Amino acid sequence: MKNNTGTPRLLRELRSLSVVVFHPEDQDGQELIGQLQRIGCQVKAFWPPLDKLPDAVDLVFLAVRPEVLSIDLPWLRREASPPVIAVVTYENPVIVEAVLKLNAYGVIASPVKSFGLLTSMVVAVNQSENAKERAKYVVRLEQRLAGQRKIAKAKAILMQSRNITEEDAYNLIRNRAMTKRVTTEEIADAVIKANEILGLGTRD
Amino acid sequence: MKSRSKEPIRVGMLFSDTGVTSVIEGSERRATKLAAEEINQAGGINGRELQLVSYDPESRPARFQALAEKLILEDGVHLILGCYMSSTRKAVVPVVEKFNALLLYPTLYEGFEYSRNVFYTGAAPNQNSVQLAEFMLRRFGSRVLMVGSDYIYPYESNRIMSDLILERGGEKVAEVYLPLDAQWEDFLAIAKKIKSSDPDFIFSTVVGDGTALLHRAYAKVGLDPARMPIASLTTCEAEIQQMGADIAEGHITSAPYFQSVANPLNERCVAAYKQRFGDDQVTNQCWEAAYFQTHLLADAMRRVDSDSVADVLRVLPGSEFAAPQGRVRIDEHNHHCYLRPRIGRVNAGGQFDILEEARQWVRPDPYLVSHTLQDWSARVRLQEQP
Repeated sequence: MKNNTGTPRLLRELRSLSVVVFHPEDQDGQELIGQLQRIGCQVKAFWPPLDKLPDAVDLVFLAVRPEVLSIDLPWLRREASPPVIAVVTYENPVIVEAVLKLNAYGVIASPVKSFGLLTSMVVAVNQSENAKERAKYVVRLEQRLAGQRKIAKAKAILMQSRNITEEDAYNLIRNRAMTKRVTTEEIADAVIKANEILGLGTRD
Repeated sequence: MKSRSKEPIRVGMLFSDTGVTSVIEGSERRATKLAAEEINQAGGINGRELQLVSYDPESRPARFQALAEKLILEDGVHLILGCYMSSTRKAVVPVVEKFNALLLYPTLYEGFEYSRNVFYTGAAPNQNSVQLAEFMLRRFGSRVLMVGSDYIYPYESNRIMSDLILERGGEKVAEVYLPLDAQWEDFLAIAKKIKSSDPDFIFSTVVGDGTALLHRAYAKVGLDPARMPIASLTTCEAEIQQMGADIAEGHITSAPYFQSVANPLNERCVAAYKQRFGDDQVTNQCWEAAYFQTHLLADAMRRVDSDSVADVLRVLPGSEFAAPQGRVRIDEHNHHCYLRPRIGRVNAGGQFDILEEARQWVRPDPYLVSHTLQDWSARVRLQEQP
């Protein structure tokens, strides 16, 4: 587990985290704020939860109480939403379901203890960053997959219309892309469109 | 629990008589006793005698835990002074939290802890590690070899030191851990490795009896402290006395207190300690923290005229005391202490020549992940002694 690269970035950046706490101003709330301040985070606390998050929030603590179950929080579950750590007082199915709906990245239990908070925070931010990276990666893969389908279709059109091999069809697309300084996908797209308009390759 | 009675107030004490860290814990125990006797000579806690209930936890975490429970459940004590190694503190913390008791912990440690039931009177890393790194890099260079005992404090201390060294473009030559009960051959092997890899300095987080072995092995292979010293946060007067000044001389320690701190109050405390426990006794940073935390606790109990945890908790945070190192203060928010960083070099008499010291106390920051040398020097300058 030891490494030579120094302390992980997330830990080093802990103090620059901007944290919003949606929690009543009770003993748990005080304990939570106190420990976040000891850790050295930038903390703002509100209750009840706000409809709109302050700018540039990195992490949200949200007390999941029966009275907030019906509140709709528009900033939740957006692509750019900061990770949420739920603070739970009850563990019954209603509350657990609410935590799932929040898409929470961590849970801390009431009574809030100072021990364990830092680890929960780092894990939540890390998981959230990973999830955002994965989401971006999935988008890129989907785009690439769609591109591959287009190229396959364009190759089929060229092979049939010009009576050439698959390899030659691909080289043709690639050479055009290089000459015109566009992507192979765009050339493939043009081939498909031309085919649709001119009816090329639809002789049979 | 406000009591009009003159019944004694009982306070628990857990410092090991036996086991690997018994030498340093013995000095913490004697410091606590000295303070308790001073408190009683001055009229106790508003007329009530302060009685120490002491057990030997044998330097073992499980024993510390069992004895903390015994103190609370069988002896009815809710205020405990004790612990040296982090592993032993970690064993006691859940117990004092569960029964709402208090632990006052007089030892430097690696930070990243807060409990409303614990007060930390030794140095946090921002009060000793940063200063040591800055000093060693400036005086000796940035190629460091790290050697430590295999438990949590050395790992975290080495992480901090590694960051500070990497920040300076320095190099970690090696990072080695030895079991707490490592033997002479193990240390000799390390010393040979030090000699062959020739770092600019050694950062040691070896604690307990291993400290003497490391220094002896270092001397055995013929290394020179003037050129490549061992820098430490834990090697203090007690360990030096154990190993002998001849093999300790020239090595460097960063601590908020050394016996050689020159002020009338410290001189009086050291004299009183020698008179009570013998002329051969030496003090050290853990001794001093154990001494002043006992006084801080007594002052708090006097102010609220009670030994209940709830009452003491109201006044202990934020309280101050004129300690041998200079005035100290308990931070209200994190329960650690404002202390005065110092850098000392062991002299031929087994005492420290204080090379540099902070101009003022440094606020404890136990949750500081990224220490940087720039940040620190902006806040406090270690002052060269005339």
